[in-house]
Amino acid sequence: MKAIIHIIEYDFRNFFRYRWFVIGLIAMNLADLFISAVVFTQMASASIVVNYFQFFAPGLAVVGLFASAFMIGREINMEVRREIHHYLLSLPMTRTELAVGRVLAGGMRGMLYMTPLLITNFIVLRFPTLPQLLLILLTLLLLAIGISGVSISIAVSTTSFEKFVTARGVVYYMLFFCSSVFYPLSVIQVLGAKGLGPLVTFAKVNPLTNGSDLIRSFLLDSPEYVFSPLMLLNVAVFSGIFAFLAIFTYAKILQRQ
Amino acid sequence: MGLRELWLVVERDLRMFIQYKFLLIMRGIWFVAQVALFGLVVNKMVEDAATKVGISYFNYYVAGVTIITLYSTSMFIGYDIFEEAEHGVFEYLLTLPVSRRELVLGRSIGGGLRSFIYVGPLLVVVLFILGISYPLYLIIALASLFLFAFGVSGMSITIAVAMKSGDKYDILIGVLDALIVRLSTTMYPALYMQRAMPVYAAIANFNPLTYAADLFRWGTGVEGALQFSPLMGVLGLFIFFFAFTFVGVAFYERRLEGGGWQ
Repeated sequence: MKAIIHIIEYDFRNFFRYRWFVIGLIAMNLADLFISAVVFTQMASASIVVNYFQFFAPGLAVVGLFASAFMIGREINMEVRREIHHYLLSLPMTRTELAVGRVLAGGMRGMLYMTPLLITNFIVLRFPTLPQLLLILLTLLLLAIGISGVSISIAVSTTSFEKFVTARGVVYYMLFFCSSVFYPLSVIQVLGAKGLGPLVTFAKVNPLTNGSDLIRSFLLDSPEYVFSPLMLLNVAVFSGIFAFLAIFTYAKILQRQ
Repeated sequence: MGLRELWLVVERDLRMFIQYKFLLIMRGIWFVAQVALFGLVVNKMVEDAATKVGISYFNYYVAGVTIITLYSTSMFIGYDIFEEAEHGVFEYLLTLPVSRRELVLGRSIGGGLRSFIYVGPLLVVVLFILGISYPLYLIIALASLFLFAFGVSGMSITIAVAMKSGDKYDILIGVLDALIVRLSTTMYPALYMQRAMPVYAAIANFNPLTYAADLFRWGTGVEGALQFSPLMGVLGLFIFFFAFTFVGVAFYERRLEGGGWQ
């Protein structure tokens, strides 16, 4: 455990080196909420979304979580290219401990960044009860670990930064645009009528859909969003699969090199 | 000022653009995702509001995304300038037999031209979706977009030259991008911005992206929610182009003196 904590500490120190980057990211997220969402509130049909601003706020927490949890991949990709992993391998810890530490650190950094956005949600929507808060935090932590896992898996499988950035873009657009982060699941059905039925199915099982709808179920007084344990299960399965994949591929890559 | 020397500088920037192949591919994927996923779904969500102002939101959005893409690719030139300063390429550029003015003006033109070349294939797709109602209007709109692209390149050069840290430039561009795009009519009609927050609509009135998006919509016949008359749009873009191209050129030229980029 001590070795894993050291790795998490190392990654947190790195995270604070990018504080300006993080401040810029928060500014962009808040612009999304306080400009775009405010305007779309005037435009969205009341029969589909009663108040778009309130609908989008939980989605924004997930957007922030994704962006910051994904940053770990950028660093690992850079370390692999610059061969910093030789130093990491010289540390007195096993490869598995190193890999587990990186995946957990990526997820926890995502949680740290997302906290101000989640507090904004509580202020503009409502404060959850303690059990609801714990459930929200657990779901988001699992989601962040899963995203960190996706990011690390991509980072160690791509040989250049440009390829990593391109892969990140593809994953980002697929996961976000085919989810209920920006719009309700009911309107995504329109893609089915355009011959994009598989994307509708993907949107339903997308962990980002489940994560943002779970927050909505506790913070919005809407009968459309009701908490179901399946939401948590969905996120937990996603997290388990990608955390394991990331640990396995990261340890393998280090061994090979 | 020698045209041949100017062209050599422009040509170099066009060649440099190819090195961003993965970023360009990503921009292309972003464009397709915006149009085929986000545009289609949001169109359904705001259908009634769009009908009230006489537009198809999908067409409105497709035209807006084209302008956002043109804007973001025109901003790339600033990253090149930082790269060159970091890797000592500035010194090499200054040894070339071209005057500083040719070098600086060539960079501004190259930055705008290469983004236009990149957006070209996307424009064909967009015109296929939107159709061409008035060819003459479209030609005027495209000519104005050239001014817009050069102006954005000039703005990018001005910001890059005014800052010493690549990280700060990156952040400032990110924040500027977030604000300039969202506070324009690229994504939503001004009427709804006015209803949401009058100050947003007021800022959008002075935003070059609003002029460019409105002109492009006018050129393609998606004109239900135009904010300005086309003449005002052309005039706005001309002022933007003139201000930033020449301010950028003057700043860059002054910065080159005595190793001011170091």
